[in-house]
Amino acid sequence: MLDVAGLSVAYGGLRALTEVSISVAEGQFVTVVGPNGAGKSTLFKTICGVVPAQAGSIDFDGASLLKRPAAMRAHLGIAHVPEGRQVFKTMTVHENLELGAYPAAGRRQWKHTLERIHTLFPILHERAQQLAGTLSGGEQQMLAIGRGLASAPRLLLLDEPSMGLAPAVADTIFERISQIHREDGLTILLVEQRVAEALELADRGYVLETGRVAMEGSYQTLMADDRVRRAYLGMGEA
Amino acid sequence: MEDALTLILAGISVGSVYALIAIGLNLTYWTTRTMNFGQGSVMMLGAMMTAVLVAGGVIDALAALASLVVIAAIMVFTEVFTVRPALKIGGSMGWAVSTLGVGIILQGVAAKYFGSQAVAFPDMVFSAQDYVEVFGVRFALQYLAILVLSVALVALLELLLRRTVWGRAMRAVSMDADLAAVAGIPVRPIVLGSYIASGLLAGIAGMLIAQTGGTVDPAFGFDLMIFGFVAAVLGGIGSSSGALLGGLVLGVIEKLVGGYVSTAAAHGIAFALLVVVLVARPQGLFGQREVVKV
Ligand SMILES: Nc1ncnc2c1ncn2[C@@H]1O[C@H](COP(=O)(O)OP(=O)(O)O)[C@@H](O)[C@H]1O
Ligand SMILES: [Mg+2]
Repeated sequence: MLDVAGLSVAYGGLRALTEVSISVAEGQFVTVVGPNGAGKSTLFKTICGVVPAQAGSIDFDGASLLKRPAAMRAHLGIAHVPEGRQVFKTMTVHENLELGAYPAAGRRQWKHTLERIHTLFPILHERAQQLAGTLSGGEQQMLAIGRGLASAPRLLLLDEPSMGLAPAVADTIFERISQIHREDGLTILLVEQRVAEALELADRGYVLETGRVAMEGSYQTLMADDRVRRAYLGMGEA
Repeated sequence: MEDALTLILAGISVGSVYALIAIGLNLTYWTTRTMNFGQGSVMMLGAMMTAVLVAGGVIDALAALASLVVIAAIMVFTEVFTVRPALKIGGSMGWAVSTLGVGIILQGVAAKYFGSQAVAFPDMVFSAQDYVEVFGVRFALQYLAILVLSVALVALLELLLRRTVWGRAMRAVSMDADLAAVAGIPVRPIVLGSYIASGLLAGIAGMLIAQTGGTVDPAFGFDLMIFGFVAAVLGGIGSSSGALLGGLVLGVIEKLVGGYVSTAAAHGIAFALLVVVLVARPQGLFGQREVVKV
């Protein structure tokens, strides 16, 4: 479904990604982990079109995305939930969700998806008329995810959804993400700092380090690797 | 007492002019938080080109239409070549300088081709002699047309912004263009559209205002733009009803001060009051403080 090959990205003269290749098949749950500054967010921003690629290719359903503006990619079915629980703060919760449904697919399925979003995150229903800026951090993250879902996407990109949240709230978010994948069959690409949990949910994982794919494989392969265990799980050698 | 009424009506007249200009300035603020500081020249060009074409024998409506087409092209140029590049650099105020620059260049071009003398502007909608009586005081229909247009625009824009999906999309673009784009909103066409709409409004305002004075010269519009800007700030930048109210308040104060104190002091005192209002309500009369929790 999504094929990124040999992707390089630079900010000004500074390389952020070097020949990164990842692929996500329809229905899969793929996780990208890596230290701060590795280029994970840059990878997502390039996929959704906010940051231009320097070299390489990004294909969605076999067609190149590179020439398509960001808004078009949303219409093709790619929903990006950026890091830092970004919501339109001076709009209500409901308006945020309505905006998420801007792509045609989202509008068509609006009634159904809204119901689903409210089932997953009942608080968004309770707070429908409240300004998004007045929500708690966890609620804003739920809203950001809800807005992504409202577009009725085929591929959901989630950038560090647990960042800066209390552990209990992060647990809820994780549970919902897993639910979205299991129950709705949505294809998900997730970036996470909570490496163990994130890899556990995933069919496949990639380790990104200083802009390169350092390792890739299944949950078992990655969890069995000593470097991964040491660097991300704080465990010594098995 | 009748004196006061005369002054208030005169204030409402010029105030509705300020309001119309402020509404035009707000349009681009909605999408990009920028304002076209070349707006005064756009108003001038709208009036000037129309006047010159009509003098050359073109019928009024066609002349106005042709001027608006040229203005639309100028606004596309302004957005693409002066605003967009400046906005690429976060926190840059380059757009303020570059849009002002375009305005000054347009003024120079107009002076070169049309001469710096005032050109007679034809009566288009109403003549200067048409008026209605309000409690025995005359209110020129030319100004009434501007007031009615301003009020209608405010109603229309409030409706657009609050009730339609485009309005919501526009607000989203102004809050966070990247996030809006990622949500599927066509950011570029919306921004470009807001610049074109803002320019067209300025052009129409220029024509309506020029007909109240009967002439237009290359410097026309600059002072008006400043007062339109003041009206927008006074009412709360970005707010349509604020622009209307801000314009009317500014106009009425100006005329009252002019009538009871001195005409020389009118603008000075109007500005002093503006400062007082902004100290008490920095967000303007109608502006909302943004509620943000980090
Ligand atoms: N807008 C930007 N301008 C310049 N450099 C940036 C920008 N965004 C990210 N970078 C740099 O690119 C690298 C990758 O950043 P990022 O993709 O945010 O990493 P991650 O999400 O893995 O923490 C870092 O060195 C970062 O400083
Ligand atoms: Mg990141």
